[in-house]
Amino acid sequence: MTIPAISIRDVTMDYPTPDGVNHVLDHVSYDVAEGHFVSIVGPSGVGKTTLLRLLTGLASPTGGEIHVRGERLTSSPEGLAVVLQDYTRSLMPWLTVAKNISLPLRRAKMSRSAVQERVQESLAEVGLTGTERSYPWQLSGGMQQRVSIARAIAVRPSILVMDEPFASVDAQTRFDLEDLVLKVRDDFGITTVMVTHDIDEAVYLSDEIVVLHGKPAAVRDVVKVEIPFPRSQMATRNDHRFAELRTRVYGMVRGLE
Amino acid sequence: MPGIIRRIPAGVISTIIALLIWQLIGSFGPLAGDSFATASEAIAGLASLLTDSTFWAAVGQTLQMAVIGFVISIVIAVPLGLLIGLSRFSYRSTKFTFDFFKVIPPIVIIPIAILAIGPNITMGVVLVIFANVFAVAIQTAYGVRDTDPVLLETMRCYRFGILQQLLYARLPSASAQIAVAIRLAASAALIVAVVAGLVGGAPGLGNLLMRLQSGGQVEKTYGVLLALGILGILMSRLIVRGQRRIIFWSGR
Repeated sequence: MTIPAISIRDVTMDYPTPDGVNHVLDHVSYDVAEGHFVSIVGPSGVGKTTLLRLLTGLASPTGGEIHVRGERLTSSPEGLAVVLQDYTRSLMPWLTVAKNISLPLRRAKMSRSAVQERVQESLAEVGLTGTERSYPWQLSGGMQQRVSIARAIAVRPSILVMDEPFASVDAQTRFDLEDLVLKVRDDFGITTVMVTHDIDEAVYLSDEIVVLHGKPAAVRDVVKVEIPFPRSQMATRNDHRFAELRTRVYGMVRGLE
Repeated sequence: MPGIIRRIPAGVISTIIALLIWQLIGSFGPLAGDSFATASEAIAGLASLLTDSTFWAAVGQTLQMAVIGFVISIVIAVPLGLLIGLSRFSYRSTKFTFDFFKVIPPIVIIPIAILAIGPNITMGVVLVIFANVFAVAIQTAYGVRDTDPVLLETMRCYRFGILQQLLYARLPSASAQIAVAIRLAASAALIVAVVAGLVGGAPGLGNLLMRLQSGGQVEKTYGVLLALGILGILMSRLIVRGQRRIIFWSGR
């Protein structure tokens, strides 16, 4: 049996609050297979982002364990990249686009020219060639999120974590970015965990969808999305399996099923 | 006509109006008389000072105290503030002490400073440092604490160390706060350098002001006031211009 990329075992998370302990996660267990794209969905406030913080090593679970490639997680794991909803807060306004992307590479002991090459490649991948010397705030929202994605793929991550990555852009840009993520997946095959409240998006992008539900939250169900890749906005969203899956997941998130 | 007016800088018009009002009050108001100079007399006083070498020496001494004190307080306070701001504990535990010193007006320590140092340039420099170092340090520390947690968490995910977080995130994001503190410190430095001469017997424009006043030289006394105003404006202009270049992203 192969080791899963990420293994979440019996994870419990409690926060102390002035009104007593807030139980957020209750014995959550799930394995993310190598190279898979997994979405975490659930009603708002259920603890999706809490689970994501645990996966990135920003917080430690009260109970249970998380392993990344067999190693127990204590801090942010090597080879982690993140894309957050709030790109304006996650990029550095005082650095150019190129510098934003190259900064995490400093630790990688790459030569200056190799770093430059990597920045160029990453920008080309997200369709932003020519913006190296711009500052993030000179770009549109969708372009800024592309910079975040370029920064993520530049480190050649083994794990990519995305928290509501497309929630702050308009609908058209959202479709473009979704397709960009599919392309990145196709080109690099990075193991990806994404939190989203958009069920259509989860179905469109994922291999598997984890539905969190309850208070404290537990894994209510894991839905396999058996729609073959490559996917496309027109064909995939018209596929009868797409409609069935989104209805099923929607029902589970709402607690109807 | 409106076209011509629009081409004149706004500041010039308001300055002319202010000088006119001053002239009128000085000539006809309740204060009119020998001890209150009109705008034209003050300008004449300033003009006569400009050819006076003691005036220029005093300007040099005041600027020396203000600039040296200002630079030393920034050099001490900004790194100190960065360190204090790094942890919540050090910020909280230092804040009270620093706020305490911050609200003590520098003028009240003049008696102590005269005893300890004597009425000279060094005393003026020390007063300027005392006036600024706490405020700038606290403001810097506040700016550092105020760094966006989302950015810091992003950096932690990418495994940036504490030093890199300080250099690439905390320092630049605190720079807007630091800039405000520096601007305030610059004008405070000039004021305190003058007060050091006025009250504490240190050399410079404050001292000159005292001597002119007790010598009954009304026009020149007012001339010094004008000179101080102009110096203050020049200093803050210079600093604002420098800051715009350094923190170009702020306000975006």
